[in-house]
Amino acid sequence: MRVVFRAVSGEARPGEALVITGPNGSGKSTLLAILCGLLRPTKGVVRYRRQDGDDLPRDEWGRHLGVVAPSMAVYEELTALENLRFYARVRGLALEDAGHRALLERVGLDPDRSTPVRGYSTGMAQRLKIAQALLHSPSVLFFDEASSNLDPSGQDWLEGHVRLLIDEGRTVVLATNDRREMTWGSRNVSLVG
Amino acid sequence: MNRFGLALKWLLFVWMIAVIWAAFMWIPSAQGFKGESSRIVFFHVPTAWVATLAFLVSCVASALYLWRRKPKYDFGAAVSNGLGLLFAVLATVTGAIFAKIMWGAYWNWDPRQTSITILLLIYAAYFALRSAVADPEKRATLSAVYSILAFVTVPFLMFIVPRIYFSLHPDVITNSDPNNSLDSAHLKVLLASLAGFTGLSVWLYSVATRIEEIRHRRRQEVL
Amino acid sequence: MSRWLAEALAVAAKDLRAEFRTRVALNSLALFALTTLAAVSYTIGPYRLATEDRPFLLSVLLWIVIFFAALAGLDRSFVKEEESHTAPLLRLAAAPTVVWAGKLLYNLVLIFALMAMLAPLFCVLMGFEIAMPWRFVLVLAAGGYGLAVITTIVAAIIAQALTRGALFSVLSLPLLLPLLIIVIEGTTAVATGDLASYSESLRAIVTMAGAMTIVSAFLFPVVWRD
Repeated sequence: MRVVFRAVSGEARPGEALVITGPNGSGKSTLLAILCGLLRPTKGVVRYRRQDGDDLPRDEWGRHLGVVAPSMAVYEELTALENLRFYARVRGLALEDAGHRALLERVGLDPDRSTPVRGYSTGMAQRLKIAQALLHSPSVLFFDEASSNLDPSGQDWLEGHVRLLIDEGRTVVLATNDRREMTWGSRNVSLVG
Repeated sequence: MNRFGLALKWLLFVWMIAVIWAAFMWIPSAQGFKGESSRIVFFHVPTAWVATLAFLVSCVASALYLWRRKPKYDFGAAVSNGLGLLFAVLATVTGAIFAKIMWGAYWNWDPRQTSITILLLIYAAYFALRSAVADPEKRATLSAVYSILAFVTVPFLMFIVPRIYFSLHPDVITNSDPNNSLDSAHLKVLLASLAGFTGLSVWLYSVATRIEEIRHRRRQEVL
Repeated sequence: MSRWLAEALAVAAKDLRAEFRTRVALNSLALFALTTLAAVSYTIGPYRLATEDRPFLLSVLLWIVIFFAALAGLDRSFVKEEESHTAPLLRLAAAPTVVWAGKLLYNLVLIFALMAMLAPLFCVLMGFEIAMPWRFVLVLAAGGYGLAVITTIVAAIIAQALTRGALFSVLSLPLLLPLLIIVIEGTTAVATGDLASYSESLRAIVTMAGAMTIVSAFLFPVVWRD
């Protein structure tokens, strides 16, 4: 057991972008894993409040959260389209292939490409991971170093899209040390190493 | 330790001596068994009983751990499984000695011997799992799940497997045949021994869990 | 309910699709089974065993090959999700019981595929004559289901542990032994045509598999979430 951090507290509202910064090993990714319910904190609680004021039950978090993180991969034996189809079916979304194709084109991938993700460059795989996070139009998005491995045009697109998400009233949490990404947020949380 | 606990410990001490004395000196050897071999029943049955009880306690403690997430239930489950293993080995050894005297071989894969071997393997696997998980909370969760799964097999091993194969194992406790049951003196000593061994296992359990609690507290202080 | 089933089918279909592209589990299962069968068939052959011992000994051999082949490949279902880091997103996207049912279905397909290939081959090569062929299929199906249920929950457990390879067999095999004893008894019964023993064994297999199904369905979310 290792103490990663002791006191972190705060809240984020719809339409707000939170930037979490901190040196390598300061626990940005661990904090993100706790926030999206993949790790159980030793102490303390994470709550998501619905619009009617009630707390969102933990079983339903996944439905409202979208995550892009270096430690979370999509299936590399499947093609991009098959990946999206799988995540849509397993989430119980009534989405047609047309929707998946449009989403893939938006993140800059060719929906008809028949090679499995294994053959993708890291940048292309990153784009697919972003598409996966946007698939179910979640109200809270976590981007852990989301623009890493993206080319300049990809970074431009991501910046524009993050701003769009914020304008739509979604909450965006960015964990990053990238100077450019830091400017996307309205509030800053920094973890000390 | 408080006075009451101390008194209980002394009572257990005296009780166990009395049981041993009764088993070897007071009771006459039973009819239908070779030599003095019947006396082993006063140790074989209680050890088997304590092993079963310990596996049950571990299953309950594991379920409590999954429900309440308190480390003490994890210690309870691990300690009971350890005690269960120890007493299952003792029951196997006493059974094998009896088999050697009565039927001439320590081991003949009698269904009861098969069942207890499988049980020993299952609970040994429990400890293999514990040593393979480093994170204490994860270890507690995974081993609790395995312990409950293991206990599901116990009724099959105790009731179904012996029914499939012919067994030589004497059935003096559970059968209803009046000619083949224990007389009242034997029954008294057996019950006394069961009580004594149960007391002994409770004491061992409380000592072992306290040791685990102290270890846990020291680990926390190091952090 | 139908939505739950559709989601579970999606998990199983995804695994099968990925499996057919790489064939890691399928190859190890099939090759293990074929190699063992070849070794057994070469050393024992159809005529070595005494006639009265044949039904029992051949049942033992058949099930040992099936069980050990299963142990060679069925842990992949969960270990692969952890090793290729796809587990976190699956945790977020799917309900735990959906994942459990999907993986169980996937393991079931693998085991039934293995049995469909192995059992006829075994009967031919070893000269194993079955008095009640349809009941033999039923014993195989019930035993295969029990095998799938137990290996699925154990695979989920060991995927969270550090040393995975040997641990899968170490944890699965003892839990599987009672089932192994009962299915061997059932197979001997269908080979000799002993209806009473067949019925008792089949009921025991179904009880055991049913108990394990219920317990795993309850416990799986705990294993998967933490």
